Amino acid sequence: MGFWTAFLTTLGIVRRRVSILILGLDNSGKTTIIAHFIRASSVPAAPSPTSPPPIVPTVGFSLEKFDYENLNFTVFDMSGQGRYRELWKHYYDDTDGLVWVLDAGDKERMAVVREELWSVLSHKALQQKKIPIVFFANKMDLEGSLTPQECIAALGLEEIRDRNWNIVASSAVNGEGLNRGLEWLAGQLKER
Amino acid sequence: MNLGKKDEDSDAGLFFHIDKSTVLQEARAFNETPINPRKCRLILTKIVYLLYQSEVFHTQEATETFFSITKLFQSQDTPLRQMVYLLIKELSTVAEDVIMVTSSLMRDMNAKSDVIYRANAIRALAKITDSSMLQAIERFIKQAIVDKNPSVSSAALVSSLHLFGANKDVVRRWANEVQESINSKGPITQYHALGLMYQIRQHDRMAVIKLVQNYSRGSLRSPLAYCMLIRYACKIMEDEEPGSRSLYDLLEGWLRHKHDMVVYEAARAICDLRDVTSKELFPAVSALQLMLVNHKPTLRFAAIRTLSKLAMTHPAAVFPCNLDMENLITDPNRSIATFAITTLLKTGNEASVDRLMKQITGFMNEISDEFKIIVIDAIRSLCLKFPAKQSLMLNFLSNVLRDEGGYEYKRAIVDAILDIIYHIPESKEFALSHLCEFIEDCEFNKLAVRILHLLGREGPKTSKPSKYIRYIYNRVILENATVRAAAVSALARFAVHLPELRDRVKVLLTRCLDDNEDEVRDRAVMYLRIIDDEDLCKRYIADETTYSWPSLERKLVEYVNDEAAHSSAFDISTTPVITAAQERAERARVATAAAELAVPTLRSTQGGPTPSAPSSTPAARGAVPSAAGDAQAGYAAAMEKIPELAGLGSLFKSSKPVELTESETEYVVSCVKHVFSEHLVFQFDCRNTLNDSLLENVNVVMKLETSEDDDATALVQDKAIPIQRLIYDIPGTAYVVYSRPGGVCPTATFSNALRFIVKDCDPSTGEPDSEEGYEDEYLLEDLDLVTADYMLPSYIVDFKRTWEELGEATEVTETYALTNVASIKAAVQNLLQLLGMHPCDGSDMVKDKATTHTLLLSGVYVGGTKVVCRCRMVLGDDGVTLEVTARSPDQDVGRRVVDAVC
Ligand SMILES: Nc1nc2c(ncn2[C@@H]2O[C@H](COP(=O)(O)OP(=O)(O)OP(=O)(O)O)[C@@H](O)[C@H]2O)c(=O)[nH]1
Ligand SMILES: [Mg+2]
Repeated sequence: MGFWTAFLTTLGIVRRRVSILILGLDNSGKTTIIAHFIRASSVPAAPSPTSPPPIVPTVGFSLEKFDYENLNFTVFDMSGQGRYRELWKHYYDDTDGLVWVLDAGDKERMAVVREELWSVLSHKALQQKKIPIVFFANKMDLEGSLTPQECIAALGLEEIRDRNWNIVASSAVNGEGLNRGLEWLAGQLKER
Repeated sequence: MNLGKKDEDSDAGLFFHIDKSTVLQEARAFNETPINPRKCRLILTKIVYLLYQSEVFHTQEATETFFSITKLFQSQDTPLRQMVYLLIKELSTVAEDVIMVTSSLMRDMNAKSDVIYRANAIRALAKITDSSMLQAIERFIKQAIVDKNPSVSSAALVSSLHLFGANKDVVRRWANEVQESINSKGPITQYHALGLMYQIRQHDRMAVIKLVQNYSRGSLRSPLAYCMLIRYACKIMEDEEPGSRSLYDLLEGWLRHKHDMVVYEAARAICDLRDVTSKELFPAVSALQLMLVNHKPTLRFAAIRTLSKLAMTHPAAVFPCNLDMENLITDPNRSIATFAITTLLKTGNEASVDRLMKQITGFMNEISDEFKIIVIDAIRSLCLKFPAKQSLMLNFLSNVLRDEGGYEYKRAIVDAILDIIYHIPESKEFALSHLCEFIEDCEFNKLAVRILHLLGREGPKTSKPSKYIRYIYNRVILENATVRAAAVSALARFAVHLPELRDRVKVLLTRCLDDNEDEVRDRAVMYLRIIDDEDLCKRYIADETTYSWPSLERKLVEYVNDEAAHSSAFDISTTPVITAAQERAERARVATAAAELAVPTLRSTQGGPTPSAPSSTPAARGAVPSAAGDAQAGYAAAMEKIPELAGLGSLFKSSKPVELTESETEYVVSCVKHVFSEHLVFQFDCRNTLNDSLLENVNVVMKLETSEDDDATALVQDKAIPIQRLIYDIPGTAYVVYSRPGGVCPTATFSNALRFIVKDCDPSTGEPDSEEGYEDEYLLEDLDLVTADYMLPSYIVDFKRTWEELGEATEVTETYALTNVASIKAAVQNLLQLLGMHPCDGSDMVKDKATTHTLLLSGVYVGGTKVVCRCRMVLGDDGVTLEVTARSPDQDVGRRVVDAVC
């Protein structure tokens, strides 16, 4: 970053770019969460005439951008289907933060989530950089979904000692909890 | 982009020094943030450049590169994005997991309508998608097909065309959208939509007819689309009976279309119709005639080229254009002029020849050798057509022979002169004297040697042989060793054939004994030694026969490869000896076959904008031979590898494959009959079409059923070679060998059955379910052994001469009433099949409504007996009356030919 840009950035005139990776099993709500932040950051004056395309399972990945808290987020929205989880690793290198979305209503697959999570965290590209990670215990609106406390226990999150992390209950359909989670991450990123 | 401009100056410009590893290092820039679009574009260009230079990217390299490229989706720079698509397409076949970009591409293709790269995104998406993903993107492609933006719609249509090959059922579901886009505003979109529609409907004949008829009414705007319609119409008519040309009127209507392209396509299509009549041709030729005076060179070229082709088969139809074509001789475009000249030479009458030749003379200096050769070839055929003009032609040829020119050109001229000498004997002396002059100053050894050989052969038979001797001896004094040796041989022939000159030639030959090249000396010594001995001369000089070169070559190769045979000398006596005339004829046949192969057929371009799906692999060995001889060589080589068959001697003839099953049955079997000197080999090519069964020990049980031929009893079954395992869809071959003692050649009918052990197996792995199988038998159709199987078609140059030489004494004749044959054409086809002989003098061409016809045939019967045959036929109310007359040195052979017809 050049001096001038750095100066403007400190003044908050130019937004600093950050790049984050959003991971989690398929159907957990990653794309829906991103859609929420995009909608929130775009200028509301011109509502698009056509309704936004319906959310379908992501194939591979999709790249999205939005502004939040003076930060310019570039998000790699990865597909959570089994076939693609192997390919997440190609995107670890230049990421500044991680968002992990879990379907808190899907108790059957918590074991799968746990396994995937730990294999991601132990990847050597992520071992070296201690980037922050925020967990969304998503779909809290669903009857009988796990609370954050239960998620921590189910996934063994207390064992994450080498980086900052946080977990918030959220619902992508009504927007609850999303800001709290991202605010925390933005704060972490600004400190760096 | 200034980058491109720099490129034009130097060969590879900017990219001259790049190598793969450096570029891949540079590609790390893709991971940097923020992205520098200019820099990345340049790197991508380098990678594409390397790929286009056929640089090999290993899977891992390609995959890593691919994944770093995916990060470039962060940039909104349009040119960069387009480069990214290009790379995705190029890497899609090498890198792994390319479907990673599916969502990103779908996002781009659905972007706001003012984004220009939507079409590019669609094309890239189609490239990376596989059948399993197609369902997921189907909805979006359908939407894109009917997009308002023609370039998006076109991209979707063309992508669908590509996807169609492997996903026919899915793409067929899009027919409604495709239909809608045929009416799109964009002309190119119409064209693409029509092409896809045809792919979807092509196997439904009625639907294609409707498609053509619907859109023929002028609702389309794209001339390319009309061209496609014309091709589809021709395809439809190809399958029709000649005479009922249901869509001809449409073609004719298009001759008046406002786009030249459509007019030309229609005219060309009409010229290419099978068995086209002069009435049908008339309007097409008129349309082409108008193009001949068009100001656009491309149109003039297209028209004259098509007319030139048409003139080969229908010179009379092209005749009305003669005046316009004559004007084209002075066309500034020399390609057009060349075609004009050569076409005129085909259509012209005797009277116009003089004028044409004058024009050509002026014109020859302005065209390249390649075109000169075309002109020479045309003149050569013209000369044969109008023998009265031969002195004019020979003058012309000898004049151009003296001009500057390369070897191929000179060779074409010499070939033409030799041809004229051969066909028009009266021209001989005149032509020889021109050739004599030519070798006085000829830079091509090969040509000088050929001409000297010719002088040696023909010179002694002329009225004043002595004058050639001087020319020949001059070569001995002035030339290099190769030519000198040839000259010595030529001289010797004069001495042999002309006793009155012998002493003089001997003096000349004696002088050659001092030559410093041993080949020249050796030849002179030999000739001096044998010249006075009549017997030796006959053997070494006057003998006009030669060995059949292809079989000599094959035998020599066999000999060289067979270590065991080396203890004794090569035995040349088994190589067939043929006359010089036969050798010449064979060479002519090979040359024509090569020429025909060199002319790509126009039909191959029909069918759709993309090449159709790869055709299924031919089941039988040698199923697509370029010529019968090649197939036979293939069979011979295959049998040579089988120990039981290797010792059968030389293969005389292999029949065409005969189907012994319907094509859609459990087992598909065809048979090729091979005739060896003392044996018959039946080759059964079998295919198992059941994926759940495995056949083992497959034998063909052959039994002699009926024969009216007494010789048939002499046939004895020798051995049968089974197929060990016949796996689903993998062809196998079984053989049955009969011996025919004393070389008998009966006609007969055999019954055939497959006998084998079946094992059920797992369709996916092909592994048998259990070791236990059961025996089974499968009946095949009967197989006929016919006269044609023992007959090699043989080309003869002059049927009449051979016919008369053999004389009436050897003649066998018979008359038949063929009541179930409806036309002369059908009768000719039958005869060709029954007899397996070569049609001479183009007598297999029958006029459309002919009522009388004479078919002339020649062949060589097994054992090497020559036979010629004349079939005269008359079409009456109750079928064709046929008189077959055969002449052969061996009357038995003649009898067999005549009897084969009943
Ligand atoms: N009830 C409820 N449904 C949700 C919530 N978030 C997402 N969904 C639904 O869950 C489904 C999957 O959402 P996506 O955003 O496509 O999930 P994803 O993680 O992107 O899935 P992949 O792209 O396949 O990895 C959609 O039908 C959403 O409407 C939530 O908070 N509550
Ligand atoms: Mg998603």
